[in-house]
Amino acid sequence: MTQQSRLRRMGWIAVLALCTVCYLGLHLKVHAVRSEVVRSERQIIALEDEKMLLETEFETRASQEQLASWNRVEFGYTAPTAGQFVENERQLAKFGTPRAAGAPEPIRVASLATGEDAPPFPKFVSPLTGKPVDEKLLDPAPRRVNLDATYERAALRIPLAAAIGDVHE
Amino acid sequence: MNALTFDAGFAPSRIRLVDIRHRQLLIAQLRMLLLAAGFAFIALVALVRIAWLGVVQPAPTEHSMAQALLPPRGEITDRNGVPLARAFPAYALWYNPNALGDGGPPLVNPPALVAARLKAIFPDIDLAATTRFLAAGKPGYIRRRLLPAEVNQVNAIGELALETPGERDRQYPQGKLAAHVLGYVASDGHGRVGMESFLDSRLLDPAQRGKPVPLSIDVRVQGALEDELASGMRAVNAAGAAGIVLDVDSGEVMALASLPSFDPNKIDAEGQKHMFNRVTNEVYELGSTFKPLTVAAAIDAGVVTDLGKRYSAAPLHIDGFTIHDDENLGPTLNVPETLIHSSNIVSAQIADQLGGDRLSRALADLGMNERPYIELPARGFPIWHKPPWPRLRTMTVGFGHGVAVTPLHLATAYAALVNGGIWRPATLLKVKPGDEARGRRVFKESTSARMKQLLRMIAVYGTGRKANAPGFRVGGKTGSAEKATAGGYNHHSVVATFASAFPMDDPRYVVVVMLDDPKAVAASSYQRTAAWNAVPIVGRLIPRIGPMLGVLPDNNRDIDLSDLKPLVGDGGGNE
Repeated sequence: MTQQSRLRRMGWIAVLALCTVCYLGLHLKVHAVRSEVVRSERQIIALEDEKMLLETEFETRASQEQLASWNRVEFGYTAPTAGQFVENERQLAKFGTPRAAGAPEPIRVASLATGEDAPPFPKFVSPLTGKPVDEKLLDPAPRRVNLDATYERAALRIPLAAAIGDVHE
Repeated sequence: MNALTFDAGFAPSRIRLVDIRHRQLLIAQLRMLLLAAGFAFIALVALVRIAWLGVVQPAPTEHSMAQALLPPRGEITDRNGVPLARAFPAYALWYNPNALGDGGPPLVNPPALVAARLKAIFPDIDLAATTRFLAAGKPGYIRRRLLPAEVNQVNAIGELALETPGERDRQYPQGKLAAHVLGYVASDGHGRVGMESFLDSRLLDPAQRGKPVPLSIDVRVQGALEDELASGMRAVNAAGAAGIVLDVDSGEVMALASLPSFDPNKIDAEGQKHMFNRVTNEVYELGSTFKPLTVAAAIDAGVVTDLGKRYSAAPLHIDGFTIHDDENLGPTLNVPETLIHSSNIVSAQIADQLGGDRLSRALADLGMNERPYIELPARGFPIWHKPPWPRLRTMTVGFGHGVAVTPLHLATAYAALVNGGIWRPATLLKVKPGDEARGRRVFKESTSARMKQLLRMIAVYGTGRKANAPGFRVGGKTGSAEKATAGGYNHHSVVATFASAFPMDDPRYVVVVMLDDPKAVAASSYQRTAAWNAVPIVGRLIPRIGPMLGVLPDNNRDIDLSDLKPLVGDGGGNE
């Protein structure tokens, strides 16, 4: 066996060893990530369970029967009457008084967009990549948020995009 | 010699060379063979592994988060997504005497001490009984439901025999609310009584149970209905109460209550007693609330064309039976007055003119000859006599006697009366807009318009005045029928009903409230009739639920009564 071929063989062995080490390293890394994923999943499940526990406790404590009895004893709220509803702009305008003769012209003011002097809303940064999350999510087309009084599980949370959109506006 | 020498010197080296080459060739072939064998072995192993995976090993169970988060039984929510029934991770306290596994005593500390420590956590347990139970050394539940904080305290006692296994529990966060609608889950894991029973397979189906099932009821409306019914029932000391709020256009039940109720979280003998549903299961002769149906059928058939026509109000003697009114309402009455003053005599005459055939067909079209349409398993069969009806029966049915139906029958009939004449089955499942049942036409549009006016007049001038919540344009008819007993009617026990709809200018909801055996007490001015007990309940209920259901009070709007107003005096109703 020549010197050259021996060197070549050692070279191959070294490459093989290197590949094996790299593969092992990768393998361990994959396993580590996988177990981390499993752990996170377990954590999510535990948190979901806990959330459900708290939610159910909240629902139970704030059940209709309980609210009604509190209202009877503590608050005494009654159903709103017709006078408490304004159906449209015209009805609203009814509450205004007409300008008397000779009254000064109303002072016109420039409108101030909300949040003009407020600092920009901090960008949401993905905890994994360290980069800001989708720009489109943060800067949607501006739209008004309707804060419905209806009780829906989802409606209790104002959509993230919409809320931020309003701040930016 | 030289050649020989050469030969002799050359030949061995050459032979050796050949030998070496031969040997190397052999080694190479051997290595090749080994390598091939190695590959073949690997291939074989792979093949065996594939065969093993395919044949022997069962399919890998999907161990994912979605699987773990899938509830063992689907959630039931109201129409807005408020959970009404959910699978709830709970803990139990189980006594396992073999936990230590050494065959010795099950507890480290004496049973009395452990029982005392348990008593410190759960003050309601019986100390002596628990001590006996622990000392007996038999496995069993000490407590079925523990809070997470209590689990921690139990674990802190340090007894291995006290186990706290996690169990999935069915939890009804609203407690007794809508118990008859929901039902409960028995210990075999299957639903009973209400929608838990109807939706049982759907709630247990692994493919569908991840998605909650929305019911048609609105928990806020249900809460208001039960609250008002319960206080109304207490005020007049009634034996029971039933109430239903129905969407007239889709047949969706917004709220359905039968009192006294039971707690689906805790089923006991007391709860079992109250499980029958007065709204869908119990049939009653609902009395005067049938009069608008008679009048509507008569208007629809062209029997009543002139609402101003006056009928004699003198008692009728038919087949040895006298039909009379509760009090003298004057010599003659027209149709609006008949409804406002709730005259049996005139209703009987109108029914008589209409004839048993047409009256029974109208009532059958309103579904009163069959069980009510609703998803609940408990549905009562009406007391319905097959036509042809004799004259007297036609006349008594005209004012609501001789046919016994459930309050749900009445609610769907009133929905048809005010929604333009279309009868639709009631449903407890949320209906998507546009997916409403097609229904069948029972009354003409014009008849329905007339009936809306007449019902509104009863609430403005007649027996329904206490329900006339300002701005809500309520209309409806009272009914107080004596309860039928084995030997006729019990004169001291009535069923008081108020069937109403609002807003009358464009009816959206029907509200039927029924009180079973209300007493004549001070709260009802010593009266037993519906005007004094059932009607005020509706009067308090509608302002509470109207805004929730999208009906805003408006004092500037009402149904036009100007053409009927001259037909009645100032009203002043009785029942």
